Amino acid sequence: MIIGENIHKSFGDLEVLKGVDLHVQPQEVVVLVGVSGSGKSTLLRCFNFLEMINEGSITIDGKKVDPKKDNLTKIRAEVGMVFQHFNLFPHKTVLENVIEAPITVKKMNKEKAKKLGLELLEKVGLSDKADVYPSKLSGGQKQRVAIARSLAMEPKVMLFDEPTSALDPELVGEVLQVMKQLAEEGMTMVVVTHEMKFAKEVADRIIMIDQGTIIESADPKTFFGNPQHERTRQFIQLVE
Amino acid sequence: MFELFGTVFEVFMRTYPGFLEATVVTLQLTAVGVILGTLIGLVFALMKISGSKILQGIANVYITIIRGTPLIVQIMFLYFGIVEIYTMSNFWAGAIALGVHNGAYIAEIFRGAIQGVDPGQREASMSLGMNRKQTMQRIVFPQALRRSIPPLGNQFIITLKDSSLVYIIGVAEIFSLANREAAQSFQPFESFIVVALYYLVLVMIFTYLLRWYENRLDVDKT
Ligand SMILES: Nc1ncnc2c1ncn2[C@@H]1O[C@H](COP(=O)(O)OP(=O)(O)OP(=O)(O)O)[C@@H](O)[C@H]1O
Ligand SMILES: [Mg+2]
Repeated sequence: MIIGENIHKSFGDLEVLKGVDLHVQPQEVVVLVGVSGSGKSTLLRCFNFLEMINEGSITIDGKKVDPKKDNLTKIRAEVGMVFQHFNLFPHKTVLENVIEAPITVKKMNKEKAKKLGLELLEKVGLSDKADVYPSKLSGGQKQRVAIARSLAMEPKVMLFDEPTSALDPELVGEVLQVMKQLAEEGMTMVVVTHEMKFAKEVADRIIMIDQGTIIESADPKTFFGNPQHERTRQFIQLVE
Repeated sequence: MFELFGTVFEVFMRTYPGFLEATVVTLQLTAVGVILGTLIGLVFALMKISGSKILQGIANVYITIIRGTPLIVQIMFLYFGIVEIYTMSNFWAGAIALGVHNGAYIAEIFRGAIQGVDPGQREASMSLGMNRKQTMQRIVFPQALRRSIPPLGNQFIITLKDSSLVYIIGVAEIFSLANREAAQSFQPFESFIVVALYYLVLVMIFTYLLRWYENRLDVDKT
């Protein structure tokens, strides 16, 4: 569904990604782990073309993307992204947040968009909040709205960058629950998270990224039970 | 002390019909100055964030010249530059000078407000498939506009006071009236106390209105 090959990315002299290969199958849930600064966010942002890669290639749903020729706006619409700090639009109500892109980008008519928006809000358990502004929501509710907002564009793959890191512990569960449900429905997902319980339960594959390269890629059982790399063992000790 | 109160009150009672008329002129000058300044400011702010070196350069030259010279010089410059060539009233020469002056400051207010919008907003918008223009129009500008309301209000109050400088080209606003009154009545001290009170009350009214408006915005959406 999404294939990264030999991805290199530098910021000035700092080489953050040093030849990453990552094939995500349709309906697969991949959890990305790694210490701070290892390049997890950068990799996700490259997949969404919020950052441009210096070398290598990215293929989405069978089409190799040429950043020079292709319409990146269109490609971004097919790749949903959920951010650590939600980034909801504060000047729009919850429902307006969700239907903004379908109306502006897909030119969906307003009635249809509203119907879709309310369905999605129901799915994330927030039908009753449609008309309030994001500032009135808890962090967990905000993140669920952000997920609904992404889903409204019917993306082929969803990227999550530490979706629960900014939340109070008691609010983490409700967001993970929504993500788990998405996974069960067959959404292709790449998730950066420190929630190891979620990784064990939901991930098809866990990938450890260290200093800009993938050093471990295995199903959760193997990843935790029999890690190959010393750095992975250290990491597991740290988080457990 | 009581004596002073007495004479100030006397000057106030004698002059208030003229002052009320002059207050209207001051408010008109301020309104034109701020509205024109907002339009000019918007254009130059867009030029500054356009990414085009030429447009940025033009905006920088304008802002540097305006911020680097006194308003009173700009008023005189425009007065002799425009009124002499095109037939235009002194009022409009003064109002345009205030607008041109404000434009530079308001351009910086808008630029700061646009750049102050959380970059995460732009990223979220782009990640939903909105292009640059849609992101600016629908996500960044509305938020920037809200952010610029407090500094714009502040600029309005500065303009209200700055409009007094237009007395130099003989526009019949509050300060020029006070000036004339001071000379004719041989009560300069009392005249200037009265004019200070007019400005003070006007500024207080507008400060209050702005606070009220800002609070209302906050209650609504944040
Ligand atoms: N826009 C940028 N300009 C310069 N350096 C950057 C930029 N974005 C990221 N970096 C650097 O790239 C490196 C990797 O950053 P990245 O955000 O991908 O790490 P991460 O694995 O997501 O870390 P964390 O767990 O802290 O989120 C860091 O050293 C960071 O400082
Ligand atoms: Mg990160």
